[in-house]
Amino acid sequence: MTPKQIPRIPTWMLKHFGCGPNNDVVLGDLAEHYQLNGSSLWFWRQVLKAIPVSLFNEVRAHKGIAARSLLMGWGLWALFISIFPLITPYFFGGGFGVYIERQDPMGTLWAVLSAPVGVQVILGRPFSFVFAIVLPLFIWTMCGWLVARFHRGQQTGVVLLFAGSILLSYMLLFGRFVFTVRPPAPWLYAFSGQFAAYAVASVLGIILGGGLLRDRLTIVNS
Amino acid sequence: MLLLALLRLGEDAYGVTIAQELEEQTGREVVVASVYATLDRLQERGLVASSLGDSTPERGGRAKRYFRITGAGLREVRDARKSLMNLWEGLPHLKGEKA
Repeated sequence: MTPKQIPRIPTWMLKHFGCGPNNDVVLGDLAEHYQLNGSSLWFWRQVLKAIPVSLFNEVRAHKGIAARSLLMGWGLWALFISIFPLITPYFFGGGFGVYIERQDPMGTLWAVLSAPVGVQVILGRPFSFVFAIVLPLFIWTMCGWLVARFHRGQQTGVVLLFAGSILLSYMLLFGRFVFTVRPPAPWLYAFSGQFAAYAVASVLGIILGGGLLRDRLTIVNS
Repeated sequence: MLLLALLRLGEDAYGVTIAQELEEQTGREVVVASVYATLDRLQERGLVASSLGDSTPERGGRAKRYFRITGAGLREVRDARKSLMNLWEGLPHLKGEKA
């Protein structure tokens, strides 16, 4: 009997984004079950559930390391965000910075998070594009690389956790921001696209820098 | 439930067979990764032990991880059964169930 071809994309996803020492064994189990009586849909379902389950398990098993990696990642990001407004005025002309208001901590947090994009940034302008997407991508890549470098034993888990925390904060703050703009102004739609691109660049940068897209050797304890 | 599945499977308890056993008994799809997450916790508590087996071609050359219940695990199962029996005892019969 010719063996069935195991679905490649979910296998690749689990190989690169699955955490913990069981990842290889789980892949083997899924492959065996798939050969016996599994469908592609079943395989996809298993992989899409296995990634968060393995991440949760990894964080639970190494709470201190997870907390340290988050602190480190956000700290590096804070460093970046404090340097960023210093260099952007040279390229944007009008200048821009982060408005800090003690009475409105959420608003301040939003201003800080969206600082690299800025409401006035237009992606069609080369400099704007470079500074809204390419530079953040580069800096996030560095953050991801440093977080991974200092947590090699739990590399996948800490990088995914850091990227997930960034994505979650963007989603929460952007949701709040959209909710406060009443009625929705036309510029909001343009800004949403830019901000989505910035969010993708951030997460992609962390994952790239964290080395999750590289093929890694699997070490099996014997 | 996992400990009972291990007892039922004996020597052949690894990810695929455990998931199949649980699916047969519960009628619900089991996430293989969740089985390992739970087994890891049980292993931390010393209730199960594991060892790596051979790799096979249908697994893409990946090894199996076999699990077996330990003495402490067996005691835990016995205690759980005893507690359940005590809870059931003296319970009025459920509606529709014969005495």
